[in-house]
Amino acid sequence: MAAALLDVQGLDVFFTTYGRKRQVLRDVGFSIAPSERVALIGETGSGKSVTAKAIIGTLPNNATIDGGRIALEGEDVLSLSRDRREALKGTAFSLIMQDPLSSFNPVFRIGTHLDDVMRFADRRNGIRNGKAARRKRIAEVLRRVQLSEPERVMNAWPSELSGGMRQRVLIGLALLHRPRLLIADEPGTALDVTTQDEILNLVNRLVEEEGMALLLITHNLGVVRKAADRVVVMHHGDIVETGPTERIMKEPAAAYTLSLLDAVPALFGPKVTDQPESRGVPIVTIRNLDKLYGRRQHRFHAVKNVSFDLRKGEIFGLAGESGSGKTSVARMVMGLTPPSAGTIEIDGKAAGDRRATQIVYQNPGTSLNPRRSVEQTLTLPLASIGMRGAARSARLDELMQLVRLPRSYLGKYPHELSGGQKQRVAIARALAAEPRILILDEPTAALDVSVQKTIIDLLLQLRDELGLTYLIISHDLSLMRNFCSRIAIMLRGEIVEEGRPAELFAEPEHPYTRALISAIPVVSDDEEHLKPKVTETERQRFLVAATQ
Amino acid sequence: MHDQPTTAIFYRLGSFALVMLGLAVTIFVLARVVPGDPARLALGPAATAEQVNALRHEMGLDQPLVVQFFSYVGRAIRGDFGYSLVSQRPVIVDLKETVPATLELVITSVVFMFIVAVPLGVVTARYRGRWIDLVGRILSLTGVTIPSFLFAITLQLVFARLFPSFPILGRLDHGLGFSSGPTGFLLIDGTLAGRFDVVADALKHLALPAFALAMAGIGQITRITRSAMLENQRKDHVLTLRSFGVPERVIVFRYLLKLSAIAPLTIMGLEFASLIGNAFVVEMIFSWGGFASYGLNAILQKDLNAVIAVVLVSGLFFVAANLVVDILITLIDPRLRHRGSR
Repeated sequence: MAAALLDVQGLDVFFTTYGRKRQVLRDVGFSIAPSERVALIGETGSGKSVTAKAIIGTLPNNATIDGGRIALEGEDVLSLSRDRREALKGTAFSLIMQDPLSSFNPVFRIGTHLDDVMRFADRRNGIRNGKAARRKRIAEVLRRVQLSEPERVMNAWPSELSGGMRQRVLIGLALLHRPRLLIADEPGTALDVTTQDEILNLVNRLVEEEGMALLLITHNLGVVRKAADRVVVMHHGDIVETGPTERIMKEPAAAYTLSLLDAVPALFGPKVTDQPESRGVPIVTIRNLDKLYGRRQHRFHAVKNVSFDLRKGEIFGLAGESGSGKTSVARMVMGLTPPSAGTIEIDGKAAGDRRATQIVYQNPGTSLNPRRSVEQTLTLPLASIGMRGAARSARLDELMQLVRLPRSYLGKYPHELSGGQKQRVAIARALAAEPRILILDEPTAALDVSVQKTIIDLLLQLRDELGLTYLIISHDLSLMRNFCSRIAIMLRGEIVEEGRPAELFAEPEHPYTRALISAIPVVSDDEEHLKPKVTETERQRFLVAATQ
Repeated sequence: MHDQPTTAIFYRLGSFALVMLGLAVTIFVLARVVPGDPARLALGPAATAEQVNALRHEMGLDQPLVVQFFSYVGRAIRGDFGYSLVSQRPVIVDLKETVPATLELVITSVVFMFIVAVPLGVVTARYRGRWIDLVGRILSLTGVTIPSFLFAITLQLVFARLFPSFPILGRLDHGLGFSSGPTGFLLIDGTLAGRFDVVADALKHLALPAFALAMAGIGQITRITRSAMLENQRKDHVLTLRSFGVPERVIVFRYLLKLSAIAPLTIMGLEFASLIGNAFVVEMIFSWGGFASYGLNAILQKDLNAVIAVVLVSGLFFVAANLVVDILITLIDPRLRHRGSR
């Protein structure tokens, strides 16, 4: 390959924790040509982020590079002096971190971050810029990332900007010194779908206009299709496959790549699953539900006049972005917070029976108490309904069987379990008191794609075995397409559209529904063509609506 | 923008006024409930019943408790805390003499705390697990565990033995012929009078008691600063700055320190109560002649007017210190200024 910008060869990286040395990267090698866009994909623990950190030089202290070479334009950066290595940061390569919300120090203004980054990069590279010159360049960069009021942004505290705005500032930070390689770690994944799509478009355009190369780190194959020319697939610290994006998407050579592709839920076409429509009687009846938070000028109308029925045995999806009110609705159904107006009836009675509804939270890593074993976690709800002795022990066995975990796992603690196993425990806990309705709050958002599929399959089986009814709240429409029997789209506290998934995807009526569906990154051209068309003005309208 | 620091501060002022009122009620009732008749105590066993009754009437002790309380509060607000039975002077005169001495001591020791503890916390966090961390941690543990009176006496003994000329008692060398000026703070009065020999000597006198008093706080604040630094240096925003090559010293001393200052400041506000408590003991040991030793005498002599005044002034110190801490934290953290945000 002629004149690669970045050439990584035979990279071996080890982590030492408590005296034990563990290999996290094994013989990793790939290269990036100038202005080429390469995606590094893989699941949790695949080593994709470690690779990025090795390139930039921000590996943690317990990491050692035992072999290999990272060459920037033919020069091995690993053999450079500390100072010369530091001088490459921000100028040769820039990193965009994953979570824009936590990427700024909350007690410093946005402008301070930008100015310090610029000032020290200038100093290392022998550039003399006064404060005014720096401010000018910063304003210029902020305009490049479509922040129309750079002065206001610079004077703002991080907490005053929305997630999308902070993500833009982060990108601007990376552009300050016109780097040759932009490394983006899961850009926008922490944000809403429409914002994420917007951010991806922005990165794409900037890379093209500035002639930068892009190393995109992601687990989302749809994102890869949209923003990369070539793909490097990683699994457990190894590279399993490398190739042009189109080829990898159509005819993957490695079995692992194929399994990744298979796990992506389809939106359109033959691979879509349609859940049958429920003919059951309404088990939950919600009428004219309203929820207001705060008082006087701080009043926030979170839920406005929401009405729907949950029929026995169905899977009802409430879709919406952050702040749309979907979580408030779920909390009211659970009886965790009273409605400001309207009624919720479960089996014809006013809501409030805690045993009828249970919830499975988004992140099993935080919803399970790390100091309680699986058995203790599951015993608590059983004890609270007065079950003890042999009956309780039998019920524990039963629960473990239901979520397909071996009985021996009862003695384990959360840190000994994988993400998927933890979520199974969380599901078992929710099922313990035999609820009829399960509320699923983004049940797969914290999990890898391949694990997501197994959890969804488990939930479907449980529904049939136990005759459960699900209310799922999520922002992930591609998941809901295959999982729900009905979907309601929420925007600013209101349900703007409701219907069967197939109809909703084929002919979305409300422009917001169209915007949401069109923002989902898909893995094939066929699906791309089937997406609803959205005009630019429409997209902008809802982008503002969702971030404000 | 949406900053409303003044509203937040007024709100706190209001709640602190309530705290003071609650304290006044409590101490007033307690002082009346404890056995022993202050009038009898003041007059001694030889006085007749008429004399005692006359004094009781004069002191208002024959009025209902509620009336006594409100008339007391009314007078206290104007600075009239009644007469001290022991010193035979208005309590306010005693306070004016003794409070500055204590304030000077306490403020110096707070300054000591931050000068020593914050850098120690930063260094121990930065070099976690190395020998300097170990030394720092042993030091802070010592500070937390050793009672300040023991530390004070030890300091006195060691200095008396090794540096006989170093002052270990009192606030000032009488040989200098300086009596306190308008503020009562020797450091300020000395500077105002242009007597820098007085300032130097006052500082020498301050060193040991202030250090003894600061020791407990130094331990606490070092530990809190260290853990706040350790927690914050793992945050994404630190990694962001690092990945752009912002030098480590800037990240630590600018970005991390300001963020990590919130926790030790909060602790400082709470620690202030034990600081005043410890001052009672340390002042006795160093013959400081401050308001704490005055309070201790008042308690032992059952000098009720003085006791109530001392408790109220201690409470005022505590409340004022916490108000200052709250204002500082609000200035540091913009998120606290957004009312109605989560």
